[in-house]
Amino acid sequence: MVATLLQIAEVYLWIGAAVAAVFLLWGIDRVEPNAAGAFVFRPLLIPGILLIWPLVLWRWWVLTRGETGVRRHRPPRRVQHAVAIVLALAIPVILMGALLVRQNRPLERPAVLLAPPAAAPAAEGEAGQ
Amino acid sequence: MSVKYVPVQWNPNKYVYDAVLLASVVLYIFVFLELGTAAADVTQPINGAIVRMRAFGSCAFLMLSVILAIGPLARLDRRFLPLLYNRRHFGVMTFAVALTHAVYVLGWYFAFSPTDPLVALLTANTAYGQVLGFPFEVLGIAALLVLAILAATSHDFWLSFLSPPLWKALHLLIYPAYAAAVAHVALGYLQDATNPAFALLFGGAVLTVGALHLAAWLRAPAEPTTADDWVMAGDAGDIPDGRAIVVRISPTERAAVFRNGRTLSAVSNACAHQNGPLGEGRIVYGCITCPWHGFQYRPEDGCSPAPFTEKVPTYDLKLEGRTVLVRRTAHPPGTRVEPTPLPEDVA
Repeated sequence: MVATLLQIAEVYLWIGAAVAAVFLLWGIDRVEPNAAGAFVFRPLLIPGILLIWPLVLWRWWVLTRGETGVRRHRPPRRVQHAVAIVLALAIPVILMGALLVRQNRPLERPAVLLAPPAAAPAAEGEAGQ
Repeated sequence: MSVKYVPVQWNPNKYVYDAVLLASVVLYIFVFLELGTAAADVTQPINGAIVRMRAFGSCAFLMLSVILAIGPLARLDRRFLPLLYNRRHFGVMTFAVALTHAVYVLGWYFAFSPTDPLVALLTANTAYGQVLGFPFEVLGIAALLVLAILAATSHDFWLSFLSPPLWKALHLLIYPAYAAAVAHVALGYLQDATNPAFALLFGGAVLTVGALHLAAWLRAPAEPTTADDWVMAGDAGDIPDGRAIVVRISPTERAAVFRNGRTLSAVSNACAHQNGPLGEGRIVYGCITCPWHGFQYRPEDGCSPAPFTEKVPTYDLKLEGRTVLVRRTAHPPGTRVEPTPLPEDVA
């Protein structure tokens, strides 16, 4: 199961590599005016394309068709507030939950490193062999 | 307004910021390696590899905590804004430190595994149905994957290519990633740690992050509830010359009311370039200047001066005594609105 998932991830990354090659050599100049004549920064984009290439293909398609700029002035602030509050509430829950399931309490006597048993004197019969 | 992309946009401030950041990381790792072995668990003496992975892991976690604290801090106190503007370099460095931690884990615990180290890591413990003994490694992997996506898409190109709203939505993944990292530490190291120092540091960091977010949420300006088309922005006398106050028009929209000498004008708070906060910028040579990349707009029509072509929406303004009111409905980007003269006693 895990090996299969990792193989799928590997295939995903290989497709991302193909998308990166085509996009960085050909597509980027058609959808991003500020990239024209700028080549040194392009290798920096490869990791991002490998990871989110479906999103890259979708945006490439949208930009090729022409995008209206209305939404550019409306960042998702309401969602950010909600997510931040959920995080603020989740943190103490996670922390307290983890401390509650902990097997030994912080105030318990600390564990002691036991010394190995002293070597027993060898039996006479064994010594003679 | 064209800005040809470069690999990294550095300026003198960012050099200082990055240098301080790097020095802090090196100092933390050094101190941890010096003190970590002696302060570690008493039941089993630990070796250098484990101390190193703990040093980088705890460093990455604390860096992530600071990153998440910067946003609410900047909302609570404007003096923290410079930290906010340079946060992307901070994020990339955090990913590098977290990746080093992961490499140490794979290289130590699974160094001699006959199976692939990653397969071995994910199959060594599959007790997903229980809290105690939960395979906390997957939580760390999930957080690391998100950090990788955020670091890999931190270049300005991505903000422009994905569009600011989508880029911002993608980068909101930092919140679930942080929750996963908290659980990773809480269900992992915290379960058998006997030295309270790290537990206190960890608890203090996560509770501070949570408290700052709650405080910033409580201090956020209330959403205007009036059905009136006009929203109160504030007292005209509170706007310094060349600066702005920001008013919340709707849950997703903010306007910046600028004072330009003896007149007032309002434009969208989101820069057309990458949604930078125009209201935190100032008027330079008669143009509103974005604090992020210096894109400029005329206050009266929201247009960049020729030959540039960027435009932002504009808003109607009116005064009731000294109180500035902004009309909720924005004009299309680039629409001229006659500037409103300041009241005599303010001007």
